[in-house]
Amino acid sequence: MASIHLQNIEKRYGGFVGVQNMSLEIADEEFLVLLGPSGCGKTTTMRMIAGLELPTGGKIVIGGEEMTEIDARDRDVAMVFQGYALYPNMSIYENIRFPLRMRGVPASEHDARIRQAADMVELGGFLDRKPGALSGGQRQRAALARAVVRQPQVFLMDEPLSNLDAKLRQSMRVQIKHMQRQLKVTTVYVTHDQIEAMTLADRIVIMNKGAIQQVGTPDQIYSDPANTFVAGFIGSPPMNLIEGTAQNGTFVAPGVTAPCPEYVRGKVTLGVRPEDCHVGGDNVQGMVYGVEPTGDTTYLTVLAGTKKIEVKAAREYRSDIDVPVAIHFDPAHLYFFGEDGQRIRGAA
Amino acid sequence: MRTDAPSVSANGVATATPKPAPRRRSPALRKAFPYLLLAPALVYLLVITLYPGIFAIYQSLFVVKFLNWEWAGLGNYSSILQDREFWAALGNTALIGAISLSLQTGIALAIAYFAYRDPFIRGWRIVYLMPMLFMPSAVAFIWKLAFNDGRVISDLLGRLGLIEGNMDWLGSIPLARMTLIVADVWQWTPFLFIIFVAALQGQDQEIEEAARLDGASWPSIFWNISLPMMRPVIVVAITLRGIDITTMFTNVFVMTQGTPGGATETMSYFIYRQGFRMFNFGYASAASVLMLVLTVIIAQTVVKRAFHSGKK
Ligand SMILES: Nc1ncnc2c1ncn2[C@@H]1O[C@H](COP(=O)(O)OP(=O)(O)OP(=O)(O)O)[C@@H](O)[C@H]1O
Ligand SMILES: [Mg+2]
Repeated sequence: MASIHLQNIEKRYGGFVGVQNMSLEIADEEFLVLLGPSGCGKTTTMRMIAGLELPTGGKIVIGGEEMTEIDARDRDVAMVFQGYALYPNMSIYENIRFPLRMRGVPASEHDARIRQAADMVELGGFLDRKPGALSGGQRQRAALARAVVRQPQVFLMDEPLSNLDAKLRQSMRVQIKHMQRQLKVTTVYVTHDQIEAMTLADRIVIMNKGAIQQVGTPDQIYSDPANTFVAGFIGSPPMNLIEGTAQNGTFVAPGVTAPCPEYVRGKVTLGVRPEDCHVGGDNVQGMVYGVEPTGDTTYLTVLAGTKKIEVKAAREYRSDIDVPVAIHFDPAHLYFFGEDGQRIRGAA
Repeated sequence: MRTDAPSVSANGVATATPKPAPRRRSPALRKAFPYLLLAPALVYLLVITLYPGIFAIYQSLFVVKFLNWEWAGLGNYSSILQDREFWAALGNTALIGAISLSLQTGIALAIAYFAYRDPFIRGWRIVYLMPMLFMPSAVAFIWKLAFNDGRVISDLLGRLGLIEGNMDWLGSIPLARMTLIVADVWQWTPFLFIIFVAALQGQDQEIEEAARLDGASWPSIFWNISLPMMRPVIVVAITLRGIDITTMFTNVFVMTQGTPGGATETMSYFIYRQGFRMFNFGYASAASVLMLVLTVIIAQTVVKRAFHSGKK
């Protein structure tokens, strides 16, 4: 329904910078996921888009209109709050109905829309309860229903599924994506869950300490990380980051040698994902530190020098600890980062 | 000698963890302990509340002429219920109390709603608290001066061109009642204001933000969300204040003495007049007991109804 442009927005709390110099173009109908560690400024960014927080610098444009100083009420944005923010004095039915009443939706449409929203979050049987009589996960779903009951310009969802069990979370995820595609509402979604981010997003924004680290499709973020922060944040277990030196096309660290392009020189960090490491070969000479079978794969931790390297081994792999082991890296999937943490790319 | 081996921590260094000896109390003391804790409150209750209360009930069954007590059974009660002055006092109390209470609740709510977000509210609170900190009789005297003896208010209104000459505030029934209401509102609005500010500040800010995003204007946020959430606090505050107003005495005693023609005589003043002007102690006691019963019944129903429909 509307594109969102953030132009150099910034939020300071006294001397502390919550969000710094953030520029982002969110396309109409896009599903954008904000991902980052706790306290990196995700909620603050959402609140600025919603109009609940005034940026201390920069401009916010929604649907082509400058909105930086427009009141939250006039932005036509629906938000799922991290803390639910249900109205404690109203039943769930009245909670979901409140935005319809306030936005002047004809009363004859209310009932059908409320029941549709409640059914979507599987809360149909709880409509006459007060929020105080619901579990945490049920409250969260009620908050989601209240946000999606009307069709706003923008959805903002701040960890809307964080309190649900794995099964419900999976089905809600599908519901949210289906609904977003159907209603074609531009959506900004915050999560800590990488699976959620990967499955829902058209594009992912990785944030750290109030600044954007990388913006890209889930594939780009995963297979083409821009810096060590993104590389170490995405994936579970995350990418191995090994500090060493490179010269003449060879990377060397204690217990590790690997081929590298000629243009990689000096102090660098080698990144390699656990699934691109295989038992055998000659890139790592180390000791088995731990073996963790999980059912469908076995995680092997190898100690090379003082560095622990995670390896995704075959399902049936087993070993005692403190036994010598050799590891092979898939040479097509090695990443090199400079001293500043940024990816070193060829002159190409 | 203790034989337990010193525990060994992960890095192989022996560390001795000192164990504090468990403390024990004698069983007798342990049994008496709850009663010891309760004792001060119980003594206070007995001396201050229960003894005078029981004494009043007992006395209300006699016609008392100083030391000469004559059994009257429920005679005092039946004559009170036929006493026109008693019913007038009851009506006055209800009328003055209801107007005063609604005014102070409304004003306090309005100021609280506009002021609670003010970062300087801490400073304001002290200013607002001041009227409450004055001695009630001093406040009554100030208002007596302002309205009647000193004619301050007449003078001010005269200078504004609203009235001519001096108003006789005790000369008309509505005006006399109004002076009592003004004094009470002035002194007690701050009490309600502070309670309401605390209630508003305790509300989750996100709820109001959610309402704004849902498209609610501030009057509808107040009406649909803030007010219902404050309901239990408002009920308790009104109950406390209501009990206080029902027993309103000081202002009447100092400012109007029940004039004109008993139009400002409240229940408390009626009881005082019966007891200490006419020395009908038994009669006054019976009126106090009736008033106590009435207050308790009203307070009970108000609180019960408010909290039940609030929960559901
Ligand atoms: N009102 C405030 N005053 C001062 N600092 C604040 C305020 N609100 C947020 N912050 C700070 O700004 C930073 C970003 O906060 P924000 O709530 O956006 O984090 P987040 O990314 O949503 O984290 P989480 O994943 O834990 O919800 C935090 O370090 C927080 O302490
Ligand atoms: Mg947050």
